[in-house]
Amino acid sequence: MKKAFIIPILITFVVSVGWVNRHHSTNEPWVASTEQESQKIASTEESLIAFNTMMDVVTHQRCMNCHPSDNVPKQGLDSHAHNFGITRANAGNATNCNTCHQKENNAYSGVPGAPEWGLAPHKMRWEGLSRIEIAQSMMNRANNGNRTPDDIMHHLTEHELVLWAWEPGVDAAGNPREKPPVPKADYIAAVKKWISLGAVIPESE
Amino acid sequence: MKLSLNINNRPGTVDVDGDMPLLWVIRDVLDLKGTKFGCGKAACGACTILVDGDAVRSCSYPAKMAEGKQITTIEGLGTSESPHPVQQAWIEEIVPQCGYCQPGFMMATAALLNKHPNPSDDDIDQNIVNVCRCGTYYRMRKAIKKAAQIQAGSTIQS
Amino acid sequence: MAKVSRRKFIVRSLIGGAGVLVGATYLARNPLRRQLYDLLDDPSMLAYSGDTSQPFMWFEVTKANQVILHSPKVEMGQGTFTSMVQIACDELELDISQMQIVHATSATGNIDGLSTGGSTSVAGLWQPLRELSATLREMLKAEGAKKLSVAVDQVRASAGTIIGPMGSLSYGEVVEGVTEWEVPDAPPLKDLKDYKYIGKPVSRVDLVDKVMGTPMFGMDAQMPDMLYGSVVRPSKIGAKFKGADVSKAAGRPGVVKVVQEDDFVGVVATSMTEAENAKKAILAEWETDREWNTKDIEDMLLVGKGKAMVIQKEGDAEGELADENTSSVLRSEYKSPIGAHAQIEPNGAVAYVEADKATVMISTQVVGITRSEVAKRLGLEDAQVNIIPTYLGGGFGRRLHTPNAIQAAVLSKAVGKPVKCFFSRQEEFQNDTFRPPTHHVMKGKLDENGKIVAIEHQFSSGDVMFGSALLPPVVGTILGADGGAIRGGSFHYRNIPSFRAVSWRVQLPFSTSWWRSLGLLANTFAIESFMDELAELAGKDPIVFRLDHISDDVAGNRLKQVIKTASTKSGYQNTAVNNRAMGFACSTDAGTPCAHVAEVSLTDGTIRVHKVTCVMDPGFAVNPDQVKAQCEGSIIMGISASLFERMYVEKSELKPIIYGPYRMALMRDAPREIDVEIINGTGVPGAVGEPPLGPIAAAIANAAYRITGKRVRELPMSVV
Repeated sequence: MKKAFIIPILITFVVSVGWVNRHHSTNEPWVASTEQESQKIASTEESLIAFNTMMDVVTHQRCMNCHPSDNVPKQGLDSHAHNFGITRANAGNATNCNTCHQKENNAYSGVPGAPEWGLAPHKMRWEGLSRIEIAQSMMNRANNGNRTPDDIMHHLTEHELVLWAWEPGVDAAGNPREKPPVPKADYIAAVKKWISLGAVIPESE
Repeated sequence: MKLSLNINNRPGTVDVDGDMPLLWVIRDVLDLKGTKFGCGKAACGACTILVDGDAVRSCSYPAKMAEGKQITTIEGLGTSESPHPVQQAWIEEIVPQCGYCQPGFMMATAALLNKHPNPSDDDIDQNIVNVCRCGTYYRMRKAIKKAAQIQAGSTIQS
Repeated sequence: MAKVSRRKFIVRSLIGGAGVLVGATYLARNPLRRQLYDLLDDPSMLAYSGDTSQPFMWFEVTKANQVILHSPKVEMGQGTFTSMVQIACDELELDISQMQIVHATSATGNIDGLSTGGSTSVAGLWQPLRELSATLREMLKAEGAKKLSVAVDQVRASAGTIIGPMGSLSYGEVVEGVTEWEVPDAPPLKDLKDYKYIGKPVSRVDLVDKVMGTPMFGMDAQMPDMLYGSVVRPSKIGAKFKGADVSKAAGRPGVVKVVQEDDFVGVVATSMTEAENAKKAILAEWETDREWNTKDIEDMLLVGKGKAMVIQKEGDAEGELADENTSSVLRSEYKSPIGAHAQIEPNGAVAYVEADKATVMISTQVVGITRSEVAKRLGLEDAQVNIIPTYLGGGFGRRLHTPNAIQAAVLSKAVGKPVKCFFSRQEEFQNDTFRPPTHHVMKGKLDENGKIVAIEHQFSSGDVMFGSALLPPVVGTILGADGGAIRGGSFHYRNIPSFRAVSWRVQLPFSTSWWRSLGLLANTFAIESFMDELAELAGKDPIVFRLDHISDDVAGNRLKQVIKTASTKSGYQNTAVNNRAMGFACSTDAGTPCAHVAEVSLTDGTIRVHKVTCVMDPGFAVNPDQVKAQCEGSIIMGISASLFERMYVEKSELKPIIYGPYRMALMRDAPREIDVEIINGTGVPGAVGEPPLGPIAAAIANAAYRITGKRVRELPMSVV
């Protein structure tokens, strides 16, 4: 029972420290905020809100299912292992993603599809990572295909495979798939905002 | 819409809804019945064909995408007079029972041999993920290996 | 043995004059004359039940010297066509290339009044088909001799030719122009050793067509000017059709007509996809009286609930095992889930209904019943309906119910054109006639020497035979126990003072029926797992323990032979080595004993079957290669059912609705090695297609136990 208490306390502590540190880094007393400083606080808040909006999408199953850590694509809201034991090893093989998945959703079969349908590279594995870890990996040029923040912005807001999440089509039973919890326009705005504000990754959640 | 298709090296045009699964164009419009309908969900693999040499499940492949591609069905794989190595191996190992899923398996195998002329057991397990209810997998594995041998032999000869 | 008498052959003239049709009646034994339970143990009883009042067409001899055999049995992968050709060619003196085999249509009469199923086709036709073939051969000899102007004893038949001292005639030449035939009594049959094809691993007669993708299945059937239909089917258990709002479907592209009947609604369109799309726009209304979930089914299906019937009794097992609390009584419970047929070709039909006749092309295991059902619905006589059976894209019992034929016919009648109408895969999974779930209670007691004093198997199952088209309800009332559910449920260990088997019948709210081997898989899982449990309690080797309890009668000795051979052949060992172990199990089904040794490993909680050694004694293998193929297929289907397959009920819907979520064995799950040995124990063919399914689940469970020390008592097996 004791452990359960310790964890929330620790998190609270970390959050407070982070907040305090950030304001002290300017070497100015936090109580005497200038206009610039209040703008900064506002933009930090904006950035955080944008970050969280973006991450609500990124961590949704529609995105996470193809960013696995174990080379096994996942399916559905329960993120079960892809049926028929399909793995990354199938990529480039005779039976691969494109054996079933094409450039667009198929309303007859319920098989989802979009251009470049496939697993994210292993370096872009997200499964099991925290939002902060995902963002760090996403912005790390060693992991993200040497993309600049601007490149990432374009990728996240324009790539058809990413935007497929809002047009996920119907499942095998003909029922519409669940979309991410944020409307597409809000998500795109949030990504752009976050990148434009310097793509600041919060130090803690 | 009018579509120009090249199926089994025979070009032609069809006038169908472009979203119609290629399976039904092949079966009902072109009357090539060897490609089977099993589930319509790209799950069983009975409808597997080759698109530019790769395995594709035609029940989940809109007809419009076939334009400009080389489509091969079981009828184009080989004939009884001149069977494809995969078909020859299937005959030698007496693989089929009910036979319904077999064209899909043979097409998936042909695609496998395109990529892996000498597939390992792991290659076979990873690439042959169609469903057979009669349980002919045991003979199929033998036939796949034999097909690889036949194909290698015929390559050397030619 | 019934002889074919003279009047049993007739000759019909053939339109177009391409040859003659030779027909015959053959005495079909009435199954109801004997104890109905005998059906289960005597394969020949169920095997052939044609209409005896009319002559049927069996053979057609063409000018091109081909003999066409019109088969009363359907080919669903089991290889029956090949065996029939082997049998007929040997007695008819034909080269195998000179014979073709086709499904008899109901118009030609030679259809089986019961079904193709129960592993009985070759067994049942063994005697009649040889006699008919030999008789036709003698007819051809007599007529040939006449044409060659020599005495009949101067000619011989060989490779489709009647050879005389001075010349010869092909069978095609012999039959030309002949309108009256001398029909002899059935001549003596050849010795087994003299057969050229029978008993040999002849290649399948349908092999090349199946490898080339030749159209042959129900799904491939078509008729001129054909339209496509689709029928709305319920997704919920117990749903009764109340009506439908079809207004949104009627005007859709390609729609020819929306057809509403009292019991279903469907649509006819110019293509399959248009019909499917239009169907989605039909708003059907269903009435259900309650919600069902898996738990409800499991609660119904318990030993002690429903109606009990003692199906086997010797001594006083009830008394011996009455006190379950004594340490001397071992008690274990086992369970098996709902199973789907999941045959790859969906059910459907192509039907054309005209003013006074109907034609239906269909994959069916019950040609005669399909005909009667269609005729009844259309208000026609049976004779006005022609059923043209196609090759089946898998049977497994799924095609013993064919309402799809009726639906296609009704749609055709509504539009006046041929209509092709098939199930979707979701409809297949939700409207299957499922393998019923089961619950088993095993009890046993040992004496001080580790021998079984008493053993009991009580099991509860949904219906298999009851309620099926094959068995009128009244027969079910007389029988009391479901002949399908009890398959494999009684003990073949009869060297035990007291044994008893009790079947509990539960009627489930959804359709359950015949699934390859019926109750055999689940019942054998329970009995044979429990035998290992008892052997361990007795401190005995499982194989020795089994042999100790089998009686020394004919059936017992055949079983023992199979067990001993499997033990030797597999190098059976009773211990696990490096996370790998062997498990043994056996059963006798429909008179055919079979034993499996499964070699299994366990990695990360996953059971893998690496090798299965199978020894089976079907009496006599007409085609040893195809008997082996049936063993291999049964083993793999059995592995699939044992390790993976399970339907569940959620808010009245049976799920999953698709392959994948309905996990089945794939290539990677099949054993890399299957070593089959066939013993010809009697010289007479017996059951083949189902017996090897029996022991596989228990063999795997017994092997897994050696590794984990944990007994798996529920299918599909999960080992953590």
